Amino acid sequence: MAIDDLMSRVGSAPVWEIDIHSADDGQLMKISQEMGLSLSVDEMKMVRDYFASEGRKPTDIELQSIGQAWSEHCCYKSSKIYLKEFVFAIDHPDIISRGDAGVMLFDEDYAYALRIESHNHPSAIEPYGGAATGIGGILRDVVCMGAQPIALVDPLCFGPIDSDKDLPPGVKHPRYLMSGVVSGIRDYGNRVGVPTLSGAFYFDEKYTGNCLVNVGCLGIVKRDEVCNNFAGGPGELLILCGGRTGRDGIHGVTFASLELQESSEEESRGAVQLGDPITKEPLIHACLEVNRLGLITGMKDLGGGGLSCVIGEMALAAGCGAVVDLDKVPLKEEDLAPWEIWVSESQERMMISTTEDKVEEILEIFKTWDILATVVARTTDEKRTVVLWHGEKIFDMDLHFLTGGPVYCRPYQGFESIPEKRENIPKLPDTSTILLNMLSDPNVASKEWAIRQYDHDVRASTVLRPLVGPPYSNGPGDASVLRPLPNSIRGLAVAVGCNPWFTSEDPYKGGMSAVEEVCRNLVAVGARPHSITDCLNFGNPERPERLGEFREAIRGLGEAAAFLGLPIPSGNVSFYNESPQGAVLPTPMIMGVGIVDDIHRCISSDLKGVGNLLYVVGDTEKEMGGSLLYRIYGGAGGRVPSVDLEAFKRKTDRLLQAMKEGIVLSCHDCSDGGLAVCLAEMCIGGDMGASISLASMGKTDPITKMFSESNGRWIAEVPPDKEEKWQSIMGKDARFIGITGGPTVMIHGGGIDLPVKTLRRAWGDPIWDIMG
Amino acid sequence: MILYGILWGEDVNPEEIKVCIMRIEGTNCEDETYNACKAAGCNPELVHLNQLTGHAKDRRDLEEYDALAFPGGFSAGDYVRAGAIFAARVKSSLGKEMRTFVEAEKPIIGICNGFQILVELGLLPATDGISKVPTAALFTNDSGRFECRPTYLKNQGGGKCLFTRKIPRGKVVMFPSAHAEGKLMGDNDRFLDRLEENGQIVFRYVNPDGRPSGYPWNPNGSPGNVAGICNPSGNVLGLMPHPERALDPLTAPDWTRHKKKEGDGMAIFRSMVDSLCR
Repeated sequence: MAIDDLMSRVGSAPVWEIDIHSADDGQLMKISQEMGLSLSVDEMKMVRDYFASEGRKPTDIELQSIGQAWSEHCCYKSSKIYLKEFVFAIDHPDIISRGDAGVMLFDEDYAYALRIESHNHPSAIEPYGGAATGIGGILRDVVCMGAQPIALVDPLCFGPIDSDKDLPPGVKHPRYLMSGVVSGIRDYGNRVGVPTLSGAFYFDEKYTGNCLVNVGCLGIVKRDEVCNNFAGGPGELLILCGGRTGRDGIHGVTFASLELQESSEEESRGAVQLGDPITKEPLIHACLEVNRLGLITGMKDLGGGGLSCVIGEMALAAGCGAVVDLDKVPLKEEDLAPWEIWVSESQERMMISTTEDKVEEILEIFKTWDILATVVARTTDEKRTVVLWHGEKIFDMDLHFLTGGPVYCRPYQGFESIPEKRENIPKLPDTSTILLNMLSDPNVASKEWAIRQYDHDVRASTVLRPLVGPPYSNGPGDASVLRPLPNSIRGLAVAVGCNPWFTSEDPYKGGMSAVEEVCRNLVAVGARPHSITDCLNFGNPERPERLGEFREAIRGLGEAAAFLGLPIPSGNVSFYNESPQGAVLPTPMIMGVGIVDDIHRCISSDLKGVGNLLYVVGDTEKEMGGSLLYRIYGGAGGRVPSVDLEAFKRKTDRLLQAMKEGIVLSCHDCSDGGLAVCLAEMCIGGDMGASISLASMGKTDPITKMFSESNGRWIAEVPPDKEEKWQSIMGKDARFIGITGGPTVMIHGGGIDLPVKTLRRAWGDPIWDIMG
Repeated sequence: MILYGILWGEDVNPEEIKVCIMRIEGTNCEDETYNACKAAGCNPELVHLNQLTGHAKDRRDLEEYDALAFPGGFSAGDYVRAGAIFAARVKSSLGKEMRTFVEAEKPIIGICNGFQILVELGLLPATDGISKVPTAALFTNDSGRFECRPTYLKNQGGGKCLFTRKIPRGKVVMFPSAHAEGKLMGDNDRFLDRLEENGQIVFRYVNPDGRPSGYPWNPNGSPGNVAGICNPSGNVLGLMPHPERALDPLTAPDWTRHKKKEGDGMAIFRSMVDSLCR
C-alpha cells in the first residue's frame, strides 16, 4: 500500500490527515521518509500511541511539527545526558541567563551575551548562503536576549585548499567552499555592522566531504534589560516581526541531523535559507528598541523548525499554550501549504510577546523601520498549541509531548582500553626547512586574505585586532579585545581554541586542550578567562565509536572548565558531520571570553623593542602526538599533550599579575608548531629579530624543544630593568631563553638562523597565493 | 560624562548645535558618528529618513538642524551602486530641503557610504554647483575586495574645508578604511585637475612616512590617491576613511607602540563644532 492511500483531506483547509493507526512498521518508515520527518520507527510508534490516546489521526502539519521538534538539532536527544553530566553542572555566580544565548555579568550595570553554533551542512551545499545565514542566526540568538551584537567570531574547517586531487562526486573543492564561506560572512557581517573580530581556519583531508562553519557572537546588554525567551503568561499576544515566510529553509533541522550524501545538493538545496542582512539590520534596531522601552515580555528568534518550534517553546516555558492564526503569517509567495508555513526556516524573523495594551506602540516602531510586524497568536492557560487556518482547527497538540522529545542513551565505545599507538618518528629535513614549511602550512600561515575582507573596526570599539604590530607588519594576535562601553576602561576579550588533531588521537586530552588553548589565548592579551561557549562538531552518534569520541571530549572539556571555574552558559552540538568519505575530525570548538580590567594594560604578541629579554613560560615535554610536525612529515602516534590544570591556573595567575604590573611588553601563546613558530610569529609581528638558546629548557632534544606542542606555554618579552620583578612573580614557571633584536631569528642549539624577511614571506604569502 | 576633555572659549554654546545623523536600513556607523559629535560637545540626534519625510511618528524637519551627517554602512544593502538608493530616496522626498540646507552653507559630512551618498546626490564634487546627475562615482576597489585596513591621510586643504580647520595643512592623520567601493572617478579627463585648482581635495592617502604610495596604503586605487573631497564652498565633506573610528586613542591600530592623547578623528568633529560656534 502506498502512503497516498493513508492520506485524506480534512475540512476545507489544504491539510491532509494521515492514518498512521493502520500503518505497519514499513509504512511508518515510509511515511517518515516521504514526508521528510527523519523519525525512526520507534519514534513513529510513539507518535502513533500519542494520537491513539487523543482518539484521532494526525494531520500533516502535526507530523511535520514533531519531525522538527524531535530532530537531533532541536532536542539534543543523543547528547543531552552527557551534556547534563559534564557541562550543565558548572555553576557560576556571574551567570545571568542560560537562554538562547548565555548571559554573563560584565560590570555592575552591564552584562554580555555569548553563543556559538554551527551551520555546517548548509555551507557544504551552498557555502555563500549557508555561511551568511549562519551569521544571521547567531545574531538573532544574541538579540533575543535584548543584547546589541558587538562581535562575530568564525572558526572554519575545510579540506586542503592547495590540493589538486580529484574529489569524490557531490563534493565541492575546499577552495571554492572557503571562498564562498568567507564571502558570505563578509557580506552579511559587514552589512549588519557587527565587527568580525576573531576566528580560525583548520585544514585537513577529513573536512573535505563536510566542511565546518561555526559562527559565534557576543552582545552587550544592560543587566536590567536582559530579555526572556518566553511569554509573560496567558492572554498575551505574539507578534511575528521581520522577513516574510517562504519555501526556503524547509527541513533545515532534519537535514542537519543526517549525514551528507552525494545527492544532498539536489535533495536538500531547499533546506538552505536565503539571508537578507538589510532586513536584519533594521530588525535588530527595532527589536532592541521595543525591549529597551519595556514594551515586551519576551523575545525569541525563529531558527531551526521555524514557527513550529518558537511558538510552543515561548508558550510552554511560560506555563502556557497558544492559539495560532497561521493564515495571518505574511508570505513571500502564494500557495504555501500550512505545514510549509509552520516549519519554514525563512530568515530574519523574530517573535515577540506582549500584552494587548502595548501592541500599537510596538507596531508603530516597526513601521518606522519599514519592518513587517503582525500579531499571529495568543497565549492561553492550557499547555497545548492549537493552529487555526482561517478559523478551522488543523493542529491541536499537547506541548509537553511535542517539545519533550525522546532522550537516548545510545551505545558508545569507551576509550579506557585503547592501547597507546606505537610512535613512528618521521624522517626530518634540516630545522630551517622545517620552520619555513610550518610557517607556510595553511594551518599556520597568515589569514590576512580573509581578515581584511571582514570589517573588524565597525562600531569603533576594537582595541586589539586579529592582526597586530605596526600597520605594515600584520602579525597574528592571540585574542581580540573590545571596549564595549566607551565610558569604561573595562574590556572584553574573545578568542577561539580547538585542536582537532589532538582530539582525534585522544578525545579526552583534546577536549581539555581546547579549553586550555582558549584560555591561553585570552591570558596572552592580559584578559582573565571568564566564560566559554562550545560548538561540538562530531560524526554520527548512532555509531558507537563516534559517540565515544564525543563523550570523552566533553568529559575532558567539562573537567577543565569546571576546574578553571569557567561556566558554559550556552552551546551547540552538531552531529552527523559525515560524508561517504567518513567523519570529520572530532572538533570541539571553544569560544572563550575574558575580561580585561583596564584596556590600557592589554598586551599584543608583536615584539616591541631591541634588547628586551625573552622568557618561555611553562614546561616543554616530548609530546608529539597530533603535532604539526608529525602531520607535515608523516609521523604517527606519540603522546598527545596533556593538561596540568593546577599548574596552568598558577601560571595564569602569575602571568596576569606580571601584566598588571606593566612589565610584559609582548606575549604569545605556543600552540601549532610549538616554540619555534611562536617566536617566529612574534618577530614577524614586531618586524624585528631575536636570538635565543635552547639550553635553559632542560635535557630533551632540540626537535622537541622547538616543535613539541606541549600545553600551558607562552613566550613573553620583558624589559631588562624589570627582570628581577618578573622573576619574583613568575618563580620557576619562566625560563630565560634570549633577547630581542637583530635582523634574524636565531635559535642556538637548534640550527636556525633565518632573516625575519624570509620568515615573513613564508608565513605571509601562501594563502594569498592559493586564494588570489 | 565628557569623554575627551574639552575646553571652550566661543560664544555659541556648542550644546545648542543640533546635528542630524540621518539613517535608513543598513546605515550602520550611526552610533560611533553620534559618539563623535557628542565628544565634540554638540547635540547629535539619530534621525530616520522616514521621520524627515513624515512617514513615521516623531516627525522632524531638516531645517531644525545646524549640521548633517551621513554615516557609513550599506544603506539599503548597496546592492546597486553604493549609496544610490539612499540618495534616490532623499532626492525624491527631501530634495528641496537638502538644497536649502547646502545653500545655507551648513556643514554636511558623508563618511564612507555617506560619501557615496553625497556623490550620488550631486552635492559632491559639485565643482560647477550642485548637479542634477552624479558627475563622479566611487568605483569598486582595484583589488575587487572589501578592504578593512588602517590608512594614513595627508591634509591637502588650504583651510577652505570647514571640517579640517583644526588640522594643520600637510599633517598626516590615521583614519581606518573599510569599504569595497572607494575609487573616486570623475566624468571627464580634467576631473582631478579641476578639483585641485578649486582646492577641493581635502585628503590624500599616504604611507606611514607621509609619502604618496600605492596599494595597500591607497586601499582602492583612487587616482591621485584622493581619499576625501569638499565642495567649492567647503561646507560639504565626503571621505572614504572613518574619522569616527579614530576618536578613542585605544582603538588606533598601533596604540600598543605609540600612545596618543586622543584619536586623530576628533579634529574633524571639533572643526565642525568650531565653525558653528563662530
